[in-house]
Parts: sequence; C-alpha cells; structure tokens
Amino acid sequence: MTLLEFASGPGLQWALWIFVFGITWRVVGAVFLLARKDLSKPRHRNTVRAGLGAVLSRSTPAHAFEKKIRFQHFTGYAWHFALFISVLFFAPHILFFKSVLGFSWPHLPNTIIMVTAIIATAVLIALLVRRATHPVQRFISNADDYISIFVVLVPLVTGILAFAHFGARYETLLAIHLLSVEAMMIWFPFGKLMHTIMTMPARFQAGTAFGRRGVKA
Amino acid sequence: MGATGSRQSGKPVSSIDAIPVTAEVVTGNVAPLLHEVRHALKRLADGKDGTVIDLQCLPLAPGEEERIEEVLGQGEVRAEIDALGPTIIQETSYPGVWLVTHRNTEQAVVGRFIEVTHIPELLKSQQADIENGANRLENELKN
Amino acid sequence: MRNDQFLGEYLRMQGVSRRGFLKFCSATASLMALPPSAVGQVAEALATARRPSVIWLSFQECTGCTESLTRSHAPTVESLIFDAISLDYHHTLQAASGYGAEEARMAAMEENAGKYLLVVDGSIPLGNPGFSTIAGISNLDMLKETAENAFAIIAVGTCAAFGGLPRANPNPTGAVSVSDIITDKPIINVSGCPPIPVVITGVLAHFLTFGTIPELDALGRPAAFFGQNIHDRCYRRPFYERGQFAETFDDEGARKGWCLYKLGCKGPTTYNACATLKWNGGTSFPIQSGHGCLGCSEPNFWDKGGFYDPLSAGMWGSRDALLGAAAAGAALGVGSALAARSRKKKAQAAEEV
Repeated sequence: MTLLEFASGPGLQWALWIFVFGITWRVVGAVFLLARKDLSKPRHRNTVRAGLGAVLSRSTPAHAFEKKIRFQHFTGYAWHFALFISVLFFAPHILFFKSVLGFSWPHLPNTIIMVTAIIATAVLIALLVRRATHPVQRFISNADDYISIFVVLVPLVTGILAFAHFGARYETLLAIHLLSVEAMMIWFPFGKLMHTIMTMPARFQAGTAFGRRGVKA
Repeated sequence: MGATGSRQSGKPVSSIDAIPVTAEVVTGNVAPLLHEVRHALKRLADGKDGTVIDLQCLPLAPGEEERIEEVLGQGEVRAEIDALGPTIIQETSYPGVWLVTHRNTEQAVVGRFIEVTHIPELLKSQQADIENGANRLENELKN
Repeated sequence: MRNDQFLGEYLRMQGVSRRGFLKFCSATASLMALPPSAVGQVAEALATARRPSVIWLSFQECTGCTESLTRSHAPTVESLIFDAISLDYHHTLQAASGYGAEEARMAAMEENAGKYLLVVDGSIPLGNPGFSTIAGISNLDMLKETAENAFAIIAVGTCAAFGGLPRANPNPTGAVSVSDIITDKPIINVSGCPPIPVVITGVLAHFLTFGTIPELDALGRPAAFFGQNIHDRCYRRPFYERGQFAETFDDEGARKGWCLYKLGCKGPTTYNACATLKWNGGTSFPIQSGHGCLGCSEPNFWDKGGFYDPLSAGMWGSRDALLGAAAAGAALGVGSALAARSRKKKAQAAEEV
C-alpha cells in the first residue's frame, strides 16, 4: 500500500471515525450537563432574541477594549475568513465534503483560493509568533494552544505545496497533506479546536441565561 | 449519473458533427515558440548555424499549431518527398524558416519540425544514395 | 532472419534510401524525446546497430498490448522499428506453432545467450500453475527459464508491470507482476492499459540506438514517457484553474470541453504520455474525447476508488460506519454526563451530612 493509498483509505477512515465519535461525545455530554431547569420567575420568557443578541454582541470587542485589541480583532477575523474560504470553497475539498455529507455547494476559482490560503497561512504564522513572544500571551498559553495551532498550520502549508506541486512528487505532497488533515481531525475533539463548535452555542446560552433575568449580555 | 450541477437543455443531437465543440484553451506556448524561431533566424542571418525545433515535444492545444502556421505563412518553395510515406517541406513566408511535416504511408504524422536553415538536410541528395545511383546508372547504360 | 546483420544494412535491403533512413532517425529521435541535434548521433548508432533477438512471452493478458502495437497493416515508422528487431517468438504474430514454435524459442535463447531482449505481457498467476500454461509449461516456469539468460526484460502493459486487471480485488488467480518474480535482471516497466504504441517502440528504439536501458522512474518506467503527470500536460488545465468543471457527461460544461475532475478524472495522480503523444497517431486521448483519465498506467488502478468518483472524495468507507461512530459517541456522551451528575450529587450529599 502506498502512502497516498493509506492516507486516502484507512487513515482517512479512522480519522473520520475518531472525529465524529469525539465531537458527538463532547457535544452530547455538554448538552446533558446543562443546568437544571431554573425555577425562579423569569423576567422575559422569549430568550431566543437575547441569545442571538449575545452571539452578535460578543462577536465584536467590548467598547472599552476596542482600541487596545484592534490588532487581534482584525487579524482574528482575517484569519478565520481566509481559512473558511480556502477550506470550504475549493472544488476538490467540496467534492470530499459531498462524499461525506451527500450534498455540495458552489466553488470559487483556484486563484482566489490560492490567495486566501496564503493570507491564512501568513496571518496564522504571525499570530503564532506573537503568542510565543508577547509576555502576557506566552504566560497564559499552554500546550493545547500550540498543538491546536500546529495541527491547523501544517494542513495549510502542505495544501499550498501540494497545489503548487512544489517540494516533492505530487502523490507524496498530497499524501502528507491528507495525513496532516487526519492528524487535525484526530486532535480536534480533545483540544481547543472544539471552540469551532462550542463558541456560538456558548454565547447563545449565556445570552439566554442573562436575558431570562432581564440583563443585557 | 445523478446530476447536481448545471444541466442545460438535454436535447439529443442528430449527428456527431452537430455537437458544438468549442475549446477556448491556450497553452501559452505559441508566442515563446515564435520568438525562438525569431532568435534562430537572426542567428542564421548573422552567419551562424541553423536550428531545428521539434514541434511535437511541446504541448499545443487544438488550434494552436494552425495559429503558428498562420503566422509563419507560406513562401516560394514547396517540396514533397516520397520516402517511407510523404514528407512535405514548405518554406514559410520567412526565407530560411522551413516547416517539415513527416507522414508515414498511412498519412499519420510521425514528425513535425521547424527548420531554420539555408536548406533542410532531407532536401539534399544523400551521399550513399548518390553512390548507389551512380552504380545503377553505369549498369543501366552498359545494357 | 539474420541476427548478425547491421540495422542500416537491413533497412537498405528493404529498399529504404539514405534519405528515408534519415527521416526514420528523425522521427525516432522525436519519439525518444531527444533534441533534433541528436539525430546525427541516432543515425550513426542505428546504422551500425545489430538487430537484437527478441522473445515475446504472453501470459495472463488480453492481447491488447500486442494489438495496440500492431494495428497498422502498412509499414509505418513504428512498425519499421518493430521489424528492425528480430522477433523470434510471439504467439499472435508467429507463423509456427506447437513443438516447432517452442524449439524456435529455445534455439533463440541459446544462440543469443546474454544478449536477447525478453518482452512480457500479461501477469503471472501464482495461485495455481495450471491457471495459465503454454505448451504445458506454467507461466512462472517459462518466465524464470527465459529470463535467466536475457539481457533485459521489458514488461509491456500494466498486467506485466504491476499485475493489472487479474490482480484487482479479490485477485482470484494470485496474479503478480514480472518484477515480483524476477529480481536479478533489469526490468523496464512500460505500463498502460494498453501502453501507447510509440512508447513501446520508443523503448525498443532506445535500446537499438544506445544498447542500454533508458532512464527509469521509481516504478521502473522509462522517465522520458512517464515523467510528467497527465494533469500537468492536460490542455484542459486552464479550466481546472478557473474552476470550470463538467458536472455530467452531457451538460453545458462537457460540451464546452471543461475539466473532468468532478467526473472522476485521475489525471493528477497518473503518469503517462497520453496528453502529449496521444493515441492513434496523435488523434486524441480519453480526456480530449470527453472521458476522465482512468489512471491505467498506475499500479492497482482498478482498486483506487471508482472511475467516476473524484480523486478528492477518497476511499474512506461508508457513511453508515460514521453514523455508527456518532451513535457510539452519543452513548459515551450521555453516559459520562450522567456519571458526572451522579458524582456531583453524591459529593453534595456528602457535604450536607
């Protein structure tokens, strides 16, 4: 079995199983750990609006911090935006998602994807360097942070190299890219990458909890 | 095939020629090739050696070979050789630039070259053939 | 057929003029992807080359490789190269049969010991020697016997080079490739299902000209023909870059000649000369005719996912298995949450006491 046959066959199979198993475990576990019914009298019954409001309001910096964290704010959005476009709108990726999910969506031309992928990689490296050198960031960062960044950075870099046919034979580059994505999928349920799934629901939940008491979150 | 993408009017076509084929594809190899010919012609004009360019080792999209022929045009000389199938040697509208097309006895193309030279090698009579011919003529006239 | 004859002399005797010979060398050099400046060297080498003896063994094959090579009935440059070799044994092309044919093979092997070329097409079944025999001799035995004193072996077609169709899952005959059996001779794998005819003759032409085997890639294939992948030489590549794909075989995109990646084209991982040399004397190749590349020059191409499944879909198994994994995860989630809750309750209860 060649490296590429393993990476697109059993490797991918196991990674998908662990990915799906792990995420379901954590999400279902979190749902079943939700606080018991609040028996106090609510100020507002319809808390959905409050929840959505919290999702929006916590997606931008608090007014007092706006100027100070402008750098993180913009680079954070640039990074996520560039990543989503590169991952979700590249035609070969969409074909993979289609094989898993059963449906697909329109794609963007390859040159646009190449630009966003390079932007995403550059921004991620810049943020990684900042995390490792800024005194406060360094102090509060742990292994989880670095591993989570690393397992996303390697697929980006190897994806660009594979697309450009640069560095080794195409099959080798493609196999390494697939293996790095599999590593990310295996790490995903067990580290900070779960913020992908947890963040918006968590903001919503905080919003509803406050909204019930009539407090703006 | 379950179609999920765009599927335009599925009208059946009446014959294979009715299927419109439009290839709007360029390899980008036409211009560099013509410049190579330009450089070779300049060298020849300066008294240096000729050059042979193999057209079959470059990927060319459908229509691009015709484009090259169109640009080079046709000149004063057109020779047809009959050896292991026909070979056409056409001097282009640029003297010194010859288009050589080798075909086998089944008319399939087996070689295409642009020769930048005073006269393509294959147009000259070959020494071995001349010697054989001399012997033959001698024998022919003896009888 | 005299094997000690010079090739140049042989061609002259066939009525080929020096001019014709030069045309032949020009086309041959182009075939071998040599620069035009090498034609003189090719002419000199071919004129003084000796006609090598070639023994062609056909094992578990469909004869497509021989058909690919010998389709034409009139002499072509390719067939002239083929005629230039002394083909001393070939099931489909030889006139002899029975004991006479086998004796001819043994005689050729003896007379040219150490110098003859062995060409093999078809895979060799190891499951049971009786699955494929010639004159009562199993393929395995005949291969070993004939390879012993050969100069080099050319494995023609994906079956001989990598096992091919017989080797596809579940491989009922235990088919293997030539290189799985012979390990002490140089083997040139000319893969493809079938290989492009000019690739076969190009390898022979190289051998005639230089007397050596050409440069090979990691899979033992001649680098001159298998060095580039189809994707990098495909004329539809600009459509791939622009994201213009055919979604079905008869939609707008297909009619406009757009990229066939979504319809399962294996071009990006396939190495062959189809995109440049093409088939039927440069007429067309599968992609130009509207069908994605099958990857037929690669090992195990029959088992690398469906011909119509896109490359990036992978071969990761079934969605049912994923749903099973999700169910297992959900079960663990519920279990661990409930366990955590009961631990908390117990701790609270213990505290209140």
